[in-house]
Amino acid sequence: MRRISVYVALVLLAAVSVVPFLWMLATSFKRGQDIYTTVPSLLPLDRKTGEWAGTLDNYAYVLDVGGLGGAFVNSVWVCAVLVPAKLLIDALAAYAFARIPFPGRDKLFVIMLGGMMVPAITLLVPRIHVTQSLGMFDSGWGLIVPNIASVLDIFLLRQFFLSIPKELEEAALIDGAGRLRIFWRVVLPLSKPVLAVVTITSFLFHWNDLVWPLLVTNDPGLHTLPLALQQLVASPDGGRAYYVMAGAALAVLPVIAVLLVFQRRILRGIAFTGLKG
Amino acid sequence: MSRGLARGTAVALLATALAACGGGDGSGGGTSGSGTGTGGESRELTFWMYQDRTPQAGQVIERIRRDFERANPGVTVKLVKIPKDDYNTKLGSALAGGSAPDAGILDQPLVSKYALDGTIEEVPAGLIDEAGYYRGALDTNRAGGKLYGLPQDQTTVALFYNRRLVPAPPKTWDELKQAAARVHAADPDVAGMNVPKGDGYGAWMFPGVVHGAGGAMVDDAAKKVLFDQPPAVEALQLWVDLQKSSPRAITDSDKPFENGRAAMTISGPWDVPTIKEQFPDLDFGVAPLPYKTEPAGNIGGENSVVFSTSDDPDLAWKWLAFLAGPDHNGAVADALGGFPVHLKARVVAGGPEQAAFLEQLKVARARPAVPQWIQVNDEIIAPAIESALTGRATARQALADAAARTRSLLGWTG
Amino acid sequence: MAAPVLERPPARPGGRARRRPDARRRDHLIGALLVAPALAYFLVFLLYPALSALSYSFTDWNLRTEAAWVGLANYAGLLFDDVKYPHFWKSVGVTLQYTLIAVPLTLVTALAQALLLNAVRRGANVFRLLLFLPVVTAEAAVGAIWRWLYDPQYGLINTLLGLVGIPGQNWLNTPELVIPALAFIAAWQCGISMIIYLAGLKGIPGSVQEAAIIDGAGPWQRFRRVTFPMLRPTTFYLLVTGVIAALQVFGLVYVIFSGNGRSVTGGPEQSGLTYVLHLYLFAFRYDAMGAACAMSFILLVFIVIVTALQFRFVKQEAA
Repeated sequence: MRRISVYVALVLLAAVSVVPFLWMLATSFKRGQDIYTTVPSLLPLDRKTGEWAGTLDNYAYVLDVGGLGGAFVNSVWVCAVLVPAKLLIDALAAYAFARIPFPGRDKLFVIMLGGMMVPAITLLVPRIHVTQSLGMFDSGWGLIVPNIASVLDIFLLRQFFLSIPKELEEAALIDGAGRLRIFWRVVLPLSKPVLAVVTITSFLFHWNDLVWPLLVTNDPGLHTLPLALQQLVASPDGGRAYYVMAGAALAVLPVIAVLLVFQRRILRGIAFTGLKG
Repeated sequence: MSRGLARGTAVALLATALAACGGGDGSGGGTSGSGTGTGGESRELTFWMYQDRTPQAGQVIERIRRDFERANPGVTVKLVKIPKDDYNTKLGSALAGGSAPDAGILDQPLVSKYALDGTIEEVPAGLIDEAGYYRGALDTNRAGGKLYGLPQDQTTVALFYNRRLVPAPPKTWDELKQAAARVHAADPDVAGMNVPKGDGYGAWMFPGVVHGAGGAMVDDAAKKVLFDQPPAVEALQLWVDLQKSSPRAITDSDKPFENGRAAMTISGPWDVPTIKEQFPDLDFGVAPLPYKTEPAGNIGGENSVVFSTSDDPDLAWKWLAFLAGPDHNGAVADALGGFPVHLKARVVAGGPEQAAFLEQLKVARARPAVPQWIQVNDEIIAPAIESALTGRATARQALADAAARTRSLLGWTG
Repeated sequence: MAAPVLERPPARPGGRARRRPDARRRDHLIGALLVAPALAYFLVFLLYPALSALSYSFTDWNLRTEAAWVGLANYAGLLFDDVKYPHFWKSVGVTLQYTLIAVPLTLVTALAQALLLNAVRRGANVFRLLLFLPVVTAEAAVGAIWRWLYDPQYGLINTLLGLVGIPGQNWLNTPELVIPALAFIAAWQCGISMIIYLAGLKGIPGSVQEAAIIDGAGPWQRFRRVTFPMLRPTTFYLLVTGVIAALQVFGLVYVIFSGNGRSVTGGPEQSGLTYVLHLYLFAFRYDAMGAACAMSFILLVFIVIVTALQFRFVKQEAA
């Protein structure tokens, strides 16, 4: 009996999560005026006759005119380069902060944490300036390099590395292994869960980030998915829901794929990051 | 993770990074065009504009771009199209970050501001024959008597009415109120009019209504705030009265006019083709804005300027003059969603609806040329309109309070 | 239970006192090398921009001309001059209201989802994925989806409310309802918090629960006496990070109230004018980047104070 009530509650909560999603999918298959029904329909039906009226035209439009296809490719390669590179840089730094003694280490760490608290929006203009000075404006580099590390991720990774029993590393040290070798051979293999967490959160962030690509690219050939989506949303004809939803549906599919791959590891990753009392 | 795998991944990543970034590298910032400007060499120009209104409009602009390149061998024009919502944010960061384009579209109220602080160039003498242009549109590019930009299109808003619900368009405020009341009385699920709201957009439309009662928002030469005077108060009262027959629960839904839920609305020429395409069943007409004492309206449209950081201002001006000239301005203006600014350019937009806009344009007036006007519009006038519309204050109180605030902000006494 | 340990003390270098001096020097070198890329990034893309922003906060700057030094005028003006900044305090109020509604609502939803997920075996993976879906949706699309769901004529929300006899509302255009409506969207996107709670739940040893069952505690008592106290560090972490994020909320209001080339002035009667939206308008629309930078440092100080207070409160409670 109790079990049933748990499932009922779960189904209700899941419905709240999923219905907006289903509405998005349904709308992406609807024809223009069929979205204006006083009783919202979760199926693409003709608004007068109630008959099935699903169409793929919206997808064809966003891929062809909306430029979603090219933007999709750009987003894929930006994330494919940025996310692993960022993970590597963050993990190396986090490991040093956690384990390798060097002068001024802890002070440096605290200063870096402080820098994280300034609201990002005020940093945009100076960042554009730096990007321009480095000659990366309006290039693939400009999408990647200004995002290539994250203090928050360093913090998370450091917490995790601190929780790994030190004895494992000490044994290897005594065997004469170098620090880098210990990092690759001992620490990283033990850290897969937290690496999965950082990967998925930073992938989600960059996959959906609108503001930076908007400001730093001019060339339409460099547009990423959120930029292409924004063109549909902010379109001068008032934003047609059926196009926007087709674009949104296309943008979300790869994320779900990534999620399915990493989902189990994410859970374990967070359990280990030292959040437990 | 085995070491081999890790290394392999790293190498693969590096390779992808180099390939991908190299691909994007050819497209430098706006100011990177070669500035030598000598005849046969290749010259590059970056031009920023708003996102295309329709795919067709995009094709028109593209055709004109190719024509220009053909007429000027060795020249490449790069068009950057930006959603209007984000345009000024992007432009602001680019100007501050040193990556501004050679030339671009600029909002009318921004031209005088940018001119005064040297952000944009003055139009070179002899570039255009000023007599060939509509005076009103050209004047929106002036600051201190000098010309700082070329208009590309001009536009105005007018009254859209649903023929099924409102057979003959109202001409005066009284007729407008009666028409709205009649519609709502006949069917309580239909609003008489999509009354503008107290947001930045509503505040932007408000001056046109004030002019219709013979008033003005400000007298910027005499530094006087006028929108607490009777014409403005009456204009706001009109909106308050209209709202009685136009519940917001109806007009706040998506596209109420297009769906036949609001009998009238105020919009511009750009909406005519979009509505016809998306809502072919809607039988609608367009008429000049109803007025109290004299026909009046707002002038809007897009201006174009050359930024002072451009390496090749001559080429940039040539491009702008090409767009605004008699041969192409008709098509350009139509693509931008307005009417030509050159007297000899052909009006592309057809249909009876356009006549109403053209008539409206004859009596349209420019927005106040006060540098802080955008802030006054958003932060002072919009909330005042909203508080009157929601009944929190009377129209008179709301505008008196707003006028007092505006005077203190601008340091005006009148 | 001991005080929650959010940040563990760094490893003591003394633990390796045995290592020879040249090994230590090598450590210094390697440590510096490993940190170098991140440090370079920090200096170039965080510290330098942050210091620039700080210096701009003492100037009058329109992004185009040279910034003019004005000392503390921006700070004083924001706090005391309601002619120049008529909606500054309004934006503070809106943001506090949002934080007070959105953060608890998000945490309660996330906790409920996690508890339920933790109680089932079969289908847990599927449910977990479904509950996580809202997080993966692009922000631009989130705005468009919810503008429709809240639509007074065609919206699903009013239709559903109608089924249980509640009259439909004009959600995004009624000042009193705007913030609750936004907070609901935030709670809809609580997936990350849910996963973190779930991880916390998995960390509670089964023996503790069994002991409570043997003592005859019912489900509610077990939750109150065992589960919730054991989750306190997790709740605290989510509270601190949630408050920081809520105080900086921007993207959500921007996508809900923008569109069609209209200016985003923050919804009806500025009821959705959050602090960072207000900041954004001054930075990019009203030509006052200096004042906008000052706003961001006022917010920074406020965030630091609120965070410190939360830490202190928790410490006192634990003592």
